Amino acid sequence: MKRLNPSLIAGGVIVAVIVLMALVSFVWTPYDATLVSPASRLLEPSWSHWFGTDKFGRDILSQIMVGSRTTLFVGVVAVGVAAVIGVPLGILAAMVRRWPSEVIMRANDLLLAFPALLLAIMFGAVFGASTLTAMIAIGIASVPSFARVIRSGALQVMRTEYVLAARAAGRQPFPIALRHVLPNVTSLITVQASVSFAIAVLAEAALSFLGYGTPPPTPSWGRMLQESQEFLFSAPRLAIFPGIAIAIAVLGFNLLGDGLRDRFDPKLEDRR
Amino acid sequence: MKPSFSTRAVAFLASAALLAVTACSAGSGTSSGSSPGADQKLSIGLVAEPASLDFTTTDGAAIPQALLGNVYETLVKQDDSGKIVPSLAKSWTVSPDRKTYTFDLVDNAKFTNDKQFTANDAVFSINRVKTAWTTSLKAAMDVVSQAKALSPTQLQVTLTKPSNDWLFRMTTRIGAMFSESGVSALATAPVGSGPFKFSKWNRGDSIVMVRNDNYWGSKPFFQQITLKYFKDATALNNALLTGTINVVGTVQAPEALSQFTSNDKYQVIEGTTNGEVLLSFNNSLPLFKDVRTRQGIRMAIDHKALLDTCWAGRGKLIGSMVPPTDPWYEDLTGVAPYDLAKAKSLLQASGAAGKTLRLRLPTLPYATSCGQVVKSQLEQAGLKVAIDQLEFPAAWLTTVFKNADYDMSIIAHVEPRDLGAVFNPKYYTRYDDPTLQGYLAAADSGDEAAQVDNLKKAARRLSEQAAGDWLFLLPNLMVADKSVKGLPTNAITENFDLSKLAR
Repeated sequence: MKRLNPSLIAGGVIVAVIVLMALVSFVWTPYDATLVSPASRLLEPSWSHWFGTDKFGRDILSQIMVGSRTTLFVGVVAVGVAAVIGVPLGILAAMVRRWPSEVIMRANDLLLAFPALLLAIMFGAVFGASTLTAMIAIGIASVPSFARVIRSGALQVMRTEYVLAARAAGRQPFPIALRHVLPNVTSLITVQASVSFAIAVLAEAALSFLGYGTPPPTPSWGRMLQESQEFLFSAPRLAIFPGIAIAIAVLGFNLLGDGLRDRFDPKLEDRR
Repeated sequence: MKPSFSTRAVAFLASAALLAVTACSAGSGTSSGSSPGADQKLSIGLVAEPASLDFTTTDGAAIPQALLGNVYETLVKQDDSGKIVPSLAKSWTVSPDRKTYTFDLVDNAKFTNDKQFTANDAVFSINRVKTAWTTSLKAAMDVVSQAKALSPTQLQVTLTKPSNDWLFRMTTRIGAMFSESGVSALATAPVGSGPFKFSKWNRGDSIVMVRNDNYWGSKPFFQQITLKYFKDATALNNALLTGTINVVGTVQAPEALSQFTSNDKYQVIEGTTNGEVLLSFNNSLPLFKDVRTRQGIRMAIDHKALLDTCWAGRGKLIGSMVPPTDPWYEDLTGVAPYDLAKAKSLLQASGAAGKTLRLRLPTLPYATSCGQVVKSQLEQAGLKVAIDQLEFPAAWLTTVFKNADYDMSIIAHVEPRDLGAVFNPKYYTRYDDPTLQGYLAAADSGDEAAQVDNLKKAARRLSEQAAGDWLFLLPNLMVADKSVKGLPTNAITENFDLSKLAR
């Protein structure tokens, strides 16, 4: 039996806590995360408000709990968009003849050269700032990494004897891709998804910080950071708590990705 | 080599530190600015960039703020106390029937295209408001029946009826004097007779003006003034702290003001403005035609709490569309006091309770901030509010201002004496009230006492009918390097007079 590694455990625990926090926030938060309460504005952390309150008197812990939904939602949709486009492109590039493969990969390189945040800001400017715009833009920007990683994995699978045998037996490319290639690159997809998830979390935070992500008053960790700017000297906790939440979430998904890669990649077996 | 878990932990801590540093520095100015450096240069930070430089066809207060009084001049202007004083007109007389104005013009004013300013230019400018302007403000010139040049330095304007408002309007953008040969590219290359010449516009960043050394009046101190525009309130403050700008023309992060008040390098100016922050209703919608809906919304908002929360308690509660600097000001905050129970019953009675209203906000700091408070307070009264942010100025002006595709919005109306302009059926508020129009007409045609009396009635009528909700009056909050002199305490005109600034 394979030994679990610390990265996988730590990453799994952190991600599980974030998912749990998001699920719990659907049924319970200490306070209504969007309720403005002037009498409670800028309260220090206390037993009644563990992380204090912001300038609108909103409970910061409640906002972080509800904000985790936005983070996960953006991550899931962005990674979904990237995987749905990137995985078939990667497999296709590995299976087709030389020049179509080159076309796909050079187009991929072109997209890769475009900074993800710039693309997302452009989407926000054209289609209006919203969580949906941010998710799609981040997803599209993540397509090249999926396509590149999956293509390299699929190329290896295409050289295996069972695929050669299937091709010799006259199997059509589509069934080969579906039955032989896709199942054998699943581990790569999982690892890439985890890494892309971390990138998506950071990108959503950056976009919301810049005003191109989740609009107010929907809680978002990035926008909490943005709204805290006025208070960096007088109430730094307003930036610290969402900052820590973002850092931990990114760390969690990165550790999970590393752990999964270690677990799935046979080449790393002898290093453990 | 594969990094160990402890290495990753160190990397995480470093990332967290980096994130914190990023959070601290992200608000600093990102635009590459001209560093003022020389004593003769000044850089002023502002928040809303004009959509165009042509206020004859484009609405928005940012254009006259930059150009009026600086590039363009008017025949008459307002002094700091609001009194109408000479500008391009040395003096003027009014006929006994109050329908004919005769202006004596200065004889040494020149446009920046080297053309002499004469009465013919004044006739051209006045007529052009009626023929070529497309903004709603042009209506103020409808009362003019004829403008005639009696001589190169004498202008006669005949009105169809006596109007108290017309001469005052001539101090605003519709009174701007243009050169007949200088209107071909107003959107990008304005030509005026003012103390500054337009130099360049770096879209998204700044407008640069240089001193007009051929100016007919007192020449300004600064050789070059740059107006730099910031979308982010903290970036604006940081630009002053880092020396990118010398003046924060309008503080948009009042909570952070303490970083300047406690620093000897800076001066903080606090006065008043004409900027009524209005929660506007689309009065053409059936829901808002019911006065109970409008009154219910007004009574659901705790204005004191709102001001404390979204603008750090700075500003003034007014209760109608008149600032305290106007002669017909009355404190009307008591007309619709905060009363949640009554608000709920009014909204229930009008059928608005439970309905979803779109609150379409411009991406301006005060609107974003106050919008969240308004949403929360209205939801406590039984309404549902969906906030939708529109990029300012372009998207907001098109969607809300031009097409009236909104339920509610928040914007500061900074034009002086704008009660009649804002609340009429043609404006984006779509407010059609014959009684109000009657008061306004009587105020315009009557004597001074009748004007004050009728405008008081008009302001009260607006408040009682809840044509909108006046969240508060923006304060004039400016911060500047201690060496900058001549900054106005009150901002009661629609222009930012740069010619008075010095070091």
